[in-house]
Amino acid sequence: MGGFLVLAGIAFAHLAVRTRQTLVAIAGVAVGVGFFLAVSGMMTGSQADFIRTLVDSAPHIILQDEQRAPAHQPAVTAWPGAAVAVRGVRPQDEVRGLKDWPAMLAAARAQPGAVAAPSLSGAVAARFAGRTEPLALNGVDPRIEGQLTKIEASLVGGHLTDLEARPDGIIISRPMADRIGAHLGDTLVVSSSAGVLQRMRILALIEPDARAGFYAGDNAAYGLLRTAQVLFARPNVVNQLHVKLGDPDAAEAVAATLEARWGYKWVSWQERSRDIRNLLVVRNIIMYAVIAAILLVAAFGIYTSVSTSVTDKRRDIAILRAMGFTERDVEGVFLIEGLVVGVAGALAGFAFGTVLLEILARLPITVQGKPLVLPLDRSLRQYLIAGAASLASALVAAWLPARKAAAVDPVDILRGAA
Amino acid sequence: MTALIDLKDVTRRLVDPEPVTLVREVSLEIQPGEFVAVVGPSGCGKSSLLYLLGLLDRPDAGSVRIDGRATETLSEVERTHLRLERIGFVFQFHFLLPELTAEANVALPIRRLGRYSRREADDRAHDLLAKLGLQAEAHRRPDRMSGGQRQRVAIARALANDPAIILGDEPTGNLDSVNTRLVVEEFQRLAHQEGRAVVCVTHDAGVAAAADRRIHMLDGRIVPET
Ligand SMILES: Nc1ncnc2c1ncn2[C@@H]1O[C@H](COP(=O)(O)OP(=O)(O)OP(=O)(O)O)[C@@H](O)[C@H]1O
Ligand SMILES: [Mg+2]
Repeated sequence: MGGFLVLAGIAFAHLAVRTRQTLVAIAGVAVGVGFFLAVSGMMTGSQADFIRTLVDSAPHIILQDEQRAPAHQPAVTAWPGAAVAVRGVRPQDEVRGLKDWPAMLAAARAQPGAVAAPSLSGAVAARFAGRTEPLALNGVDPRIEGQLTKIEASLVGGHLTDLEARPDGIIISRPMADRIGAHLGDTLVVSSSAGVLQRMRILALIEPDARAGFYAGDNAAYGLLRTAQVLFARPNVVNQLHVKLGDPDAAEAVAATLEARWGYKWVSWQERSRDIRNLLVVRNIIMYAVIAAILLVAAFGIYTSVSTSVTDKRRDIAILRAMGFTERDVEGVFLIEGLVVGVAGALAGFAFGTVLLEILARLPITVQGKPLVLPLDRSLRQYLIAGAASLASALVAAWLPARKAAAVDPVDILRGAA
Repeated sequence: MTALIDLKDVTRRLVDPEPVTLVREVSLEIQPGEFVAVVGPSGCGKSSLLYLLGLLDRPDAGSVRIDGRATETLSEVERTHLRLERIGFVFQFHFLLPELTAEANVALPIRRLGRYSRREADDRAHDLLAKLGLQAEAHRRPDRMSGGQRQRVAIARALANDPAIILGDEPTGNLDSVNTRLVVEEFQRLAHQEGRAVVCVTHDAGVAAAADRRIHMLDGRIVPET
């Protein structure tokens, strides 16, 4: 330790006499670290916000009555390998249903922290004042469904649970209501492919609000599960299970497990948003490339600073070696110089980045007339990453010239000076 | 009695940029308490010999023993440590670190050796400077001192770890006669009263005359006094 202090003393003395270059190098690191904090804070902040919306707005897992691969025709199974011609196969177009759904529901609910609800969904036509529009009607259990999605937050004029008191109630989107000219409290005539007609009263409207993060499209509509079963003439049938887990990150694994056990298609939110998340990966690669470039520039600053120091101090290096300082000691002096610049730059960069983040947080941004607060990641983790990256690049940048300093042959210098 | 410094048939050559022999088959023994002057024309290899004695350079042939201990087999780190503990250099140019005060310069080797606390090291450096009449200059940086004062600081630094061997390469080369006499008297005291071996390369006939023994060099060899 005493040895380290001696070397640090020499390093500080070197830096102190070259104040201007030292400050420039420190500023380089500070700018790099500051921009890292601001850019990365914005990117990871908005990304976390976006993922949260993806996760929270819809059920973590949706079970649909579909298979990953269509089942083989019985004839193909009966004569494997034979040339089988099957004619006149018509896809079933009516609402089918999940076999054993109560058992699957129980299995889903047995997951840690899980909430699960059955639903029956299908296409219906809604008529109002002579206009007809298709709707994707979801028959749900209002109380549980409200815990599964963010729908409640995007409703105007009523609540999801209002459906319990009004089995003939329906919730449609506001754009849909505008399209058919209906208002809250109006009654639509809803008909299904099963030929059932039902008069349904609009209890609430879904507002397509970007911030609630829940919007399944203009055609989405909600009603009571029992009412949907009547409409589709499928009493006690369910064709979807909606599951919310205690740990959203576990959804993909849980879905795979349940799918392996029960068949059918269990779609996790990760699977649902795979394309979007791939885009995020690309975005992150671009961001880190930019950050790396900034840190590289900062590292060049340190390299130049330490490198000039080594060139300036060849005489001192020679005398230190003659005095009995080892090559390692000499290397240490210049490594410490780089490290001091790196640490000072990181600290200054923390201050700079904090100011930048504060400015970003207060930026008055409006999106479609609504004020938007930028989601920023200002966590300690960001600071640790920035600090570690700048220190690592400082060490590498200083190490290259420090090695050259260690390799200086004192005899060469002494001969030249004599 | 084993000699403090013992050279046997030491040869040192350079191949780059052209082959040249700096030191040829030099054998030499130096005892503790001896003040030895190395003299000879410019380019005859005096400095080269001193670098070999001081373990800054390695011979191509022959052996260099310090305290009876062979140094060829030692690692660079071990040789450096031996230098730190046993050998003090004084050069023609003072070679002080310009950013540090006189006291900090002298304290460097003491602190590097690590036997004393920082405070003790500074005190010891201060004492050494005081003995050389530099009490008032202890907290000055080299650029605020005269040439003679700087050279005495360099001597104090060479003495910092109480070395058995002092090596000087024209230490009085830049000094006036008054300062030269101060340095010579100091070297005599270090040898005769403190029992150190002092080897001093010099062009100054006065310095050479003050030494106990003169080694004449010519073309890399030791030659008899003429
Ligand atoms: N780096 C080098 N490359 C080639 N030749 C060198 C080199 N260094 C020294 N020499 C040669 O080696 C010989 C011995 O040099 P050295 O410095 O030991 O002489 P010296 O006796 O100390 O001279 P001076 O009294 O001028 O200091 C000289 O002839 C010199 O020209
Ligand atoms: Mg010389």
